[in-house]
Amino acid sequence: MNQALRVKRIPRQGSLAGLLLFLFLPALLLFSLSCKKNHPVTAAYQPTPYKIVIPRFFPEVLNVPSDNPMTVEGVALGRYLFYDGRMSGRTGPDSLMSCSTCHLQTHAFECGMGESRFYDGHPYGLTGIFTPHFMMPMINLVWTDKGYLWNGKVSAGNANPAMKNLEDVTWMAIVAPHEMAGDTARVAALFQTLPGYPGLFKKAFGTDHVTVKNMGRAIAQFVRTLISADSKFDRYLKGSYQLNNSERSGYVLFMTEQGGDCFHCHGGDGNPLFTTNLFYNNGKDSVFTDPADRFSITGIAGDIGAYKAPTLRNLVFRPPYMHDGRFSTLDEVLNFYNSQLVWSPSISPLMHHVGTHGVHLTPLQVSDLKSFLLALTDSSFVANPGFSRPAVFPDGTK
Amino acid sequence: MRYIGAFILAVILLSGCSKSSETNYAATGKVQLLFSHQAGQQPLLPDTLLYLTATRHQYKVADLQYFVSDFTLYHNGGKPVRILSGQGIHYVDMRVAGTLAWSPADGIAAATYDSVSFTFGINTANNISNRFPNPPERDMAWPGILGGGYHYMKMNLEYTGPLDPGIKPFMFHLGIGQLYSTATPNPDSITGYVQNYFRVTVPARFAVVAGKVCSIGCVMQVDRWFDGPETFDFDDYPGGIMQNQDGMHKACLNGQHAFVITVGKQGNP
Repeated sequence: MNQALRVKRIPRQGSLAGLLLFLFLPALLLFSLSCKKNHPVTAAYQPTPYKIVIPRFFPEVLNVPSDNPMTVEGVALGRYLFYDGRMSGRTGPDSLMSCSTCHLQTHAFECGMGESRFYDGHPYGLTGIFTPHFMMPMINLVWTDKGYLWNGKVSAGNANPAMKNLEDVTWMAIVAPHEMAGDTARVAALFQTLPGYPGLFKKAFGTDHVTVKNMGRAIAQFVRTLISADSKFDRYLKGSYQLNNSERSGYVLFMTEQGGDCFHCHGGDGNPLFTTNLFYNNGKDSVFTDPADRFSITGIAGDIGAYKAPTLRNLVFRPPYMHDGRFSTLDEVLNFYNSQLVWSPSISPLMHHVGTHGVHLTPLQVSDLKSFLLALTDSSFVANPGFSRPAVFPDGTK
Repeated sequence: MRYIGAFILAVILLSGCSKSSETNYAATGKVQLLFSHQAGQQPLLPDTLLYLTATRHQYKVADLQYFVSDFTLYHNGGKPVRILSGQGIHYVDMRVAGTLAWSPADGIAAATYDSVSFTFGINTANNISNRFPNPPERDMAWPGILGGGYHYMKMNLEYTGPLDPGIKPFMFHLGIGQLYSTATPNPDSITGYVQNYFRVTVPARFAVVAGKVCSIGCVMQVDRWFDGPETFDFDDYPGGIMQNQDGMHKACLNGQHAFVITVGKQGNP
């Protein structure tokens, strides 16, 4: 009898299971088919990593943010955008402006002096408004870790999330009244329509939707490839060049406290960037009126009149000098440090010769120091075709 | 059956005790070194023209960066314990909070210690040019022509004199010294180099407990660099002492007395 009861129960359970399967199986099938229809499997986005070769003795730590790794596709796109005058958001020939309008490779990516557009080296934007400061070079920026611009405004320490790193300089240049005086939405919309560009954005960032954010990423990647490390002095450090007597004497003056004592701010054999990337009041003035010095960023009294110590590489291509372009020649710079220092309460303690207004080198010593500075010239940097204007842009324009 | 079980249990218990006694002997804790700076036995106030030397120079400290290395803990009758993490070298910048605490990964034998010693600067074997390619240590590079390696210390000051109210910068920098054959420090006349790093030894009684972190304070008394046992006069060395071995030697004699060790609480790792 028990067996009979057990036999009778099983068919009822089996019926219930079968009923449930009958009811829900079609729904399951439909669901799986719909999933396939709305999310087709596509090729994965696989950009090609771009490996920066670190020159000997250079820092091993690179300022490459994790959300914008270097890729071949990103660098290539960035180079196009760097040189494309339509970055202004406009297409009229008188309204074009790109990074390269002011950042000229022949001047180590400053605008230099003597060019027809900015003859005195002070750039201005599309509306004719001059930039607050003269230019800084784009040399070895992948190692800049204390902030960009003369006052270090664009830095990890900036509370503004849109002013943290090199990626953010692009939108700032687009909207700045003293630069492109443009509109970011207009720029993005324009490039969305230019044949070839959306495809390059897709290769670089996985989407063909053009955004100023990704423009900034691409340009930052390109700028990070602008590495200068093949001067006479670099070859001297590697043992493949012998400094001549004047260059060697200048090197000693550069590196000694009783000489020119340049190295405390500008690096040297222990720091081939030739800048500490820190900020100093170097004794140019006793009164300061610039609202955009380092003090404007930190609020620290000791930073009044302080600016970033720029690299001393490729100086020959980069007049005028200082944040306000006050010196047109290297000789003027050397004469300043030799006998024209001015004390102020916020002068850097590293300017320990301010009591005598300068280091007071002899004319021969000044000449030797200049020889050494010229040995920091890397001619390959200003001629590298990989940094130059593309012959043809993605949409076929030249 | 029961006797076998008891026997097995006894074996297990005895072997566990042996293990635990071996564990106690090799028990280790950790230390955390905390760096701070004082003048006049008060916390140093940067950029404040407040401090007076024995030569009646008033000064303020703008920057203070230095290396310490080869920390060694001693206990009576025991083997000295040397901290090896980070190759035993630590960089301190008074303005960078992250450098003011150093938590080496070394396991320190649990014991009661009675003194601490360390090298101020970096010893000859380790003070090698280009060993630190990255900032901030990179910016301590000491010129190759002057001996190479790294600054032991950069203390950038400003001071006024009793006879001259003007404020003057002074670079109180220590590193490898040079011997010159000429009266003026012409680098072409360098005849030899002097390793100016020195050992600082300070009595300090503290216990390292197994599984715990012992905080040890390393307090630099900045004023001691100028006031004892040698009297340091800024005006004797216009602007700085990198190329003046006499000045650096005097500074180093004082520096051996410029540190106090304090001991904090035991904490958890």
